[in-house]
Amino acid sequence: MKARLSPTARALSSLGLGAWFVVALLPFAWMFLISFRQPVDAFSTPPKLFTPMTFQNFIHVWVEDAFWVYGLNTIIVTVATMAVSLTIGCLAGYALARYRGALGFWLLIAALVFRAMPHVVLLTAYRPAFFELGIWSRYETLIVVLVAINQPFTIWMLRAFFMSIPPELDEAAMVDGCSRWGAFRRVIIPVMWPGIVTAGLFSFLLAYNDFIISSQLMNGDMATMTAALGNYMGQNQSVERLMHGIAGAVSITLPIIVLVYAFQKQIVAGMTAGATKG
Amino acid sequence: MKRRTFFAFVAPSVVSMVVLIALPLVGVIYLAVHQSRVQTELTEVTTSVPLFGGIVREETRIVPQPVLGEDGRAIVLWEFVGTDNLRRAAEIDGLGDVIEKSREAGSIRGFIAALHREITDADFWSALEFTLIYTFVTTPLILILGLALALGVDRVSKRARGTMVFVTLLPMIVTPVVSSLAVYWMFLDGGVIPAAISALGFDTFYFLGSQGTIRTVIVAYGVWFATPFAFILYFAALQTVPQDPLEAAIIDGANAWQRLRYVVLPHLAPITAVITLIHVMDAYRVFEPILVFGSRVFANSVQYLTYYTLAFEDNIHKAAAYALLTVAGVVVLLVPVLIRTYRDQRAGQ
Repeated sequence: MKARLSPTARALSSLGLGAWFVVALLPFAWMFLISFRQPVDAFSTPPKLFTPMTFQNFIHVWVEDAFWVYGLNTIIVTVATMAVSLTIGCLAGYALARYRGALGFWLLIAALVFRAMPHVVLLTAYRPAFFELGIWSRYETLIVVLVAINQPFTIWMLRAFFMSIPPELDEAAMVDGCSRWGAFRRVIIPVMWPGIVTAGLFSFLLAYNDFIISSQLMNGDMATMTAALGNYMGQNQSVERLMHGIAGAVSITLPIIVLVYAFQKQIVAGMTAGATKG
Repeated sequence: MKRRTFFAFVAPSVVSMVVLIALPLVGVIYLAVHQSRVQTELTEVTTSVPLFGGIVREETRIVPQPVLGEDGRAIVLWEFVGTDNLRRAAEIDGLGDVIEKSREAGSIRGFIAALHREITDADFWSALEFTLIYTFVTTPLILILGLALALGVDRVSKRARGTMVFVTLLPMIVTPVVSSLAVYWMFLDGGVIPAAISALGFDTFYFLGSQGTIRTVIVAYGVWFATPFAFILYFAALQTVPQDPLEAAIIDGANAWQRLRYVVLPHLAPITAVITLIHVMDAYRVFEPILVFGSRVFANSVQYLTYYTLAFEDNIHKAAAYALLTVAGVVVLLVPVLIRTYRDQRAGQ
């Protein structure tokens, strides 16, 4: 039951929501709009709403700047990161949800501290170590690093989801003759799919959105799309190059928009689970 | 669950975190207290310089050359330097002088002004200054805006609600480098906002030309970026507000503000603490807008300073010193939280 508000309050509320709607959307909407323009029209005074459209920026970025190579790298890195981080994250998350000892608590606290570490701190140590080991700029290296960075968040979230599955379920399975591992694999995982999808989504986003680690760890043709965007930054560049950067940025955004549209419920569930059920 | 089973289940995850998070932290300490350089020796190098008519003059010079080890790579010498790197990174010595000098200024206000002037000249302190400004200005703003949005969206129809949640998620979920760029391109000279301002007949305004406006835009970006996070958590918490006290309050004649103040807000207190904790942790690592706005002089952050030192100055020891100071900041921010969690745990047992 919701009590009615006064008309003034309702008008203010609608006005505020409308303003936020515009503000939240404007930078992306404008970026999409100008990515299909000639530089002259994209940065004109006064700004124009309707101009001739062109696909030139996108064609240049994807074909001549070889964005498709970076796209492939992104797919390899994000898919592998997601798979590995879910596998080891599920095991740990399940154990943390069921184990009663103090050690579990300390592990979660350590994970919280690790989660707060700025990534550049870790990068500083990776650099000399990975050079010495000769594993710089390789898919495996980036994947393993992203998985590790992902773990603190992943195990917190998965633990919250596993806690919502009643322990009686695994106990029943174990009474029926399953080992702990058997109960986990045959009984718990099948009912955990919603939680796994959600945690997978966040692993994907972390790997996909990462700039700091990817831009430094991967050289040249090994870069991911997000890291490759760094090539278009900087103040002293031609307007044409700026337009190519905008087309690249739009290309990176599109899959995310599809993802948010398709998995809105899971994203909201993941954020609330990771944050509140601690 | 048995202890041994627990260990077996968490092992892969724990190993990954120990090797790639805990060990690197130790590595950073090691890097920060050492200095390395390529070992060189002075060698005679003879070059033939052609003069004219086929006459060649032999020139012998003494130049430093890297010493190669048996594997054909240059030998790098490591030297323990203690806190030298840290002192240099934090510019401690300069700071001591300033404090001495400023003390002579007499008044306390003069002292603080002189200190502040000097601090903003030091890379680390000015980066820390803006990092803290960013963190502590955005935190209350995202709490207020996030709550206001959650209360508003809670009242609209179900369909409008879905649209609002979708649009609100975008600033937070879209790749931060991209969303920073999207905002940057709007404020660029000739971008839509300065262009619209001059089209409306005002003077041309350069957002990226001064410290004040650049910092304002970056903080505004931070609020825009993080408000969705506060909104989602508040919105979820609002769904769990107990209805009985609310109805009782209505029957007792409480108005909307009183219901919010005395029933809803107390219920939201725990989630407010969670939002604050996570946001402070994330804001302290602010990186992408600083990178994208590319104005280190006007607005720097501790994470970007370290990144810059590592990527562009190629100085791992200085970067490690900055990194260590950054971690010290994280620890200071986290200690109260950890103490509280520990007490709760003790009380719970």
